[in-house]
Formats: sequence, structure tokens, C-alpha cells
Amino acid sequence: MVSTSGLLKVVKPPPQWKVPVLLLLAVLAGLFLFLVHISRAPSYLGDDPKTCVNCHIMAPQYATWQHSSHRENATCNDCHVPHNNILNKYYFKAKDGLRHATVFTLRAEPQVIFIREAGKNVVWKNCIRCHGPLVTNPKLQAMRPLHINSLGTRNCTECHRHTPHGTVNSLASVPNARVPLPSSPVPAWLRNIMRTNTGATQ
Amino acid sequence: MKPISELIRQKPWLGWVFFLITMVVVFFLGLLASSIVERRAEAVFAYTPAVDIDSLEPDNAVWGKYFPREYHSYLQTADTVFRSRYGGSASIDMLKDAPELVILWAGYSFSKDYNQGRGHYHAITDIRATLRTGAPAGNVKSPSPNTCWTCKSSDVPRLISEKGIAGFYAGTWETLGPEVTHPIGCVDCHDPSTMNLHISRPALLEAFQRQGKDIGAVSLQEMRTLVCAQCHVEYYFNKHVAEGVQYLTFPWDKGFTADSIEAYYDAMDFVDWEHAISKAPMLKAQHPDYELYLSGTHAKRGISCADCHMPYISEGGQKFTSHHIGSPLRNVSSSCQVCHREETDKLVADVYERQDKIASIRHQLEKLLVRAHVEAKAAWDAGARKEQMQEILQLIRHAQWRWDFAAASHGASFHAPLEVSRIISTGIEKAQEARIKLSRLLASLGRNAEIPLPDISSKEKAQIYIGLDMKTLREEKAQFLQQVVPEWEKK
Repeated sequence: MVSTSGLLKVVKPPPQWKVPVLLLLAVLAGLFLFLVHISRAPSYLGDDPKTCVNCHIMAPQYATWQHSSHRENATCNDCHVPHNNILNKYYFKAKDGLRHATVFTLRAEPQVIFIREAGKNVVWKNCIRCHGPLVTNPKLQAMRPLHINSLGTRNCTECHRHTPHGTVNSLASVPNARVPLPSSPVPAWLRNIMRTNTGATQ
Repeated sequence: MKPISELIRQKPWLGWVFFLITMVVVFFLGLLASSIVERRAEAVFAYTPAVDIDSLEPDNAVWGKYFPREYHSYLQTADTVFRSRYGGSASIDMLKDAPELVILWAGYSFSKDYNQGRGHYHAITDIRATLRTGAPAGNVKSPSPNTCWTCKSSDVPRLISEKGIAGFYAGTWETLGPEVTHPIGCVDCHDPSTMNLHISRPALLEAFQRQGKDIGAVSLQEMRTLVCAQCHVEYYFNKHVAEGVQYLTFPWDKGFTADSIEAYYDAMDFVDWEHAISKAPMLKAQHPDYELYLSGTHAKRGISCADCHMPYISEGGQKFTSHHIGSPLRNVSSSCQVCHREETDKLVADVYERQDKIASIRHQLEKLLVRAHVEAKAAWDAGARKEQMQEILQLIRHAQWRWDFAAASHGASFHAPLEVSRIISTGIEKAQEARIKLSRLLASLGRNAEIPLPDISSKEKAQIYIGLDMKTLREEKAQFLQQVVPEWEKK
């Protein structure tokens, strides 16, 4: 084992190299900060649905949610990450998020995105988290005995397949949806120069 | 362990290994950064169709080339088949259905002709055909100003950009006739460079400015209501903004309710017309759809106009916003049932129940107002003086304003049933108050018997009673449609 001061001794450059090494390290750190900024990394800590369209391939999911009744009461995270405890929430979010980010970066996304088993189970628990009192209400049980009989054994989405996204989920399913996608990464001044030089609108 | 510098001094190749490792790390970090930038740049284009549409393009067919689904659903607003209990997409002669309205609007052009409007597609045809715009030909001018075109055509943004706001409103209606040919359409709500929703009519922007609100800061969801609020609102023509110009203005400075708008008009002594029978200083409510929607339960739950009137529909595996704007009752499954998981019949019955109840009290108020106008005339005839009549006429003005506010917004008895009932009940109270004062006044003038009502059992009889020469009006209009309109269309 090397102690901290020992490690420092190992990597420490000779005195005449200190300034160049510092500068190079700053360049690396700057590149890292740029990554944090351009990927909107801090937004992933919150619950704003806009975060989910940081990757534009989520536009069909966003647009269908936005046109559904869940829009008024539930964000993406309310259904798609666990809420039993905060550690599990962020663990699941990080796990799912990193997979999504990897697939998106590698351009490996499928034309039609389906939810995976783990995600399905999370959604199921979250249906019950909000709608549980409704499903277990004795008055309603008489009308819909299926609900209480299936609670915990059948996934809600087996029957409620259209809730809330509908059945059409292809990347091309909402060609003209108005969703709050991230703005252009090109700074405004550069866009203006490009517009005047080329007549382009974007 | 020896310091790295020591190691490299002993084995110089090790320095190259460090160099290579760092290079690879930075290379991939850079690749990642550029990939993120690239995919973010993609987002700008992914949902912004590459179109070549002029920023003021009035022709909906040009837009339709790029948005066939939206355009074809828009074209369906030409449909006149759908009929609900009180409305629908066909033209309905409202004066025929309730001849009382002829009396309420005596002295005002609405007593000549008032139809429930058809779809957006018919906006131009219908404004040309209504008797209210007159029959301009040769030296004869239309009684309407160019302001009346504001909500009828997608040519308006182009004309406003050419002539300026007041410049567009100036002049009588026929002067812009040849310029305004495309019905309400795409450019009225959409910015062609991004396809985002935008506000193209100055009156809404000006009203927001006066209230100190920034329309640039509203959310997409609010825009899905505000684009409709460019037109489906109460408005008046302000003659004090520019010389000789009827400047389109929204009377929202004191608030959105019938009472606050009434107070706004009273404070500026605004009068739409003097009533031909009672001589009351009248107000005409237009269609305060947005204002009344605001006080309803759907607005409070964040539902926009487009949520119900332009629902998301799916066709051939693609989802898009239906631009077949009209009654949600035509398509309950895509509108109401998104939230209300109930049988269609039940939902429609719920709507009709609200409409029936409100229609019944509204008709009561209508009848009271007819009586009030006729009794006021009897008081004048019996020799009443101006100062004796002033308070009574003010009550008639307010009562009819409240009736009109509830009646002119066709959807209001569903959008805000409670508020509409309240408005009508205060209207009934004011109309009766006017009639009590009138009977005292009439009694003091020696007339203690009930004032007989004229025969207004049909639209025609009512129009004869108020002295309208409908035959001439219709003949002039027919001539205008045959001779002048084809000339407009040629240009």
C-alpha cells in the first residue's frame, strides 16, 4: 500500500515540469466540466420530465405522456424509478441512466423501444403506490373484483396497456411533436454568423 | 515505490507509455464530448421538419405539403354534418331559434343576421355572406371596419406586417376584400421556422403587456390555449388609439370576469349602440370563450383548449394533433375519455344536462329582457324624462350584458357551468330590478296595466316589429356576392 503522501511523491513531477503538468491537468478537468455541461449532467439528479428528452429519442414517450391524463399528476420518475427508499431510487436511476446513455452514445437504440423486465416491475409497484387505495377500496371491489384478486400477482399494464403512452412507440411515431428538446449546442453568436453567411435558419 | 520521474529517467520508454495512455484517454473523452454535442445538435433537427415556408405564408396548402396529416385534418373543418344538441359544425340560424334575440339587438346589426359559426375552413365565405358586413358596391361602403378581418384569415399577419397594426385596422371592410382570401390557417398559430406555437395577433400581446405579463415566458401547455385566445375572446373596438381607426382591444385590464369587464366598459363610458326600442346604452358581448374557460374546472386542472378540441389521434402508426377543430362531442374517445374512463353516452348526457339547465334560465332572462325593452319604450311614450329613465336603462344595459356574456360563448355552459349560472342569475336580478322600477314609473305616469308584448313568435315578425327591411338587405347581399366577390377573388 502506498500512503497519500507516498502516492503524491510517486506522481509528483520534477520542479521544472510543475507548470506544464498543471496546465495539462487543467485542460483535462476543463474537458470534463464541458462534458458535464453539454450533457446537462446536473439535470439527472432532479425529477423534471424535460430531463428525459435530453436524448431526443425519448420524444415519443414524452409527447404521449404530455397528451395523457397522467401529465397533471405524475412525472416520468414517479412511475419509472422506485420510490421505496432514496438509495434505491438513485441506484436504479443511475443503473438505467448509464445503460441508456451508453446505448444512445453508441447509436445502438432500436427503432421501437420496449421497457425491460426490471423497469416493468418498478412501474407496477408505482401504479399500486398511487392507485392502491382505489384498488383496495371495499366499495369498488364489488364492482371490479378482478383488481383486488390480481393485486400483486398480475402487472397492471397487462390490461392497462395504453396507459399512459398508448401502443405506438416507434421513434418515428410522433414526427411533428412539440417537446422541450435541448436547444442547439451552437452558441447564439455563431448561429447568427452562420445565418448571415449561409441563409440557413438553424 | 520510486517517483515516476525517477522511473522514467531509468526507463525512458515508460514515459512514452504514459504519453500514449493519456492520449487515448483524452481522445475518447473528446469523442464522447463530440458525440454528445452531435446528438444534441441532432435534437434541433429531429423534430423540426425541414421546410421551405415563408415566414408569412398565408396559403395553407403550401404548409400542407410538409404536414399532410395535420393539413388533411384541418380540411375536415369544412364538414357541416356534425350536430350536437345546441351546436355543431353546421350553420344554425340563431334568430330563427329564438326570435327574442331580434328584439334584444334592435338597432344593432346582429338583429339582421346571427348564425352559429361553421368550421375555420368557412371563415371567409361566412363573413362575406353575413348581412352584418353589408353589401358594399361602387360608392356604398360596408358598415364594418377592416378590423373585422382580423380573426378570419391567415392573410392577416402578412397584411399587418405590410401596413402596421393601425394601418391594417383602418378603413372599411370592403377595402381589404381583394387581399383577404385564405381562411384561418397555419400561420395564425405556427412559426414556420420552428413550427412552434406563436402569437400572430397584436391584440392579445397588447392585453398581456398592459397587465404586465410576459407572453414569451408561458409554457407550451399555456400556448395551446393562448393561440385560441387570440380570437375566442371578448373584444371591443377602441376609437381612441389612432385617429379614425377601430382598434381591436381586449377589455381585460380589470380582470376576466363578466363583472370586471362590465366595470371596465362603464369606467370608459363605452357604448356599442343605443337600443332602438328602449334607448338603453347597450354593450354587445362577443365570444368570451377563453375568459369563461378560465373559471371552469378544466382550466383549473391545467387542461388546454387543444387537449379536448384538438386531441392526439393516431393514423397509420403515427400520432399527431388533430387539426379538425370542433366540438369534442364529435370524438369523445380521443378527447373526454383520455381522462374520464366512462361510457360515451354518460359523458355526453353530462354535458347536455349542464347545457339544458343553463339554456332554460338563459331563455328566462331573454324573455325578461324583451319585456324590459318594450316597457321602457312604453315609459318613454308615456312621457318619462331622461333622468327618470337613466337608472333603469343602466340596469337593462347590465342585465343584457350578462345575458350576452353567457349566450355568446357557445361552449361556456359546459366550460364553466357554475360561473355562467351565476352570471345569468345576476342578469335576471338586474332585469327584474329594472322592471320593478319601470312599473313604478309607468304607474306614476298613469299607466298601471300590463304592457302588451308585440307578436314576435317568428324571426320575420320580430324583424318587421323593429322595422327592418329584410327583403332589400337580402337582395343587396345577393348582388354583392354575385358581382363584387368574384372580382375580389380574381385579384
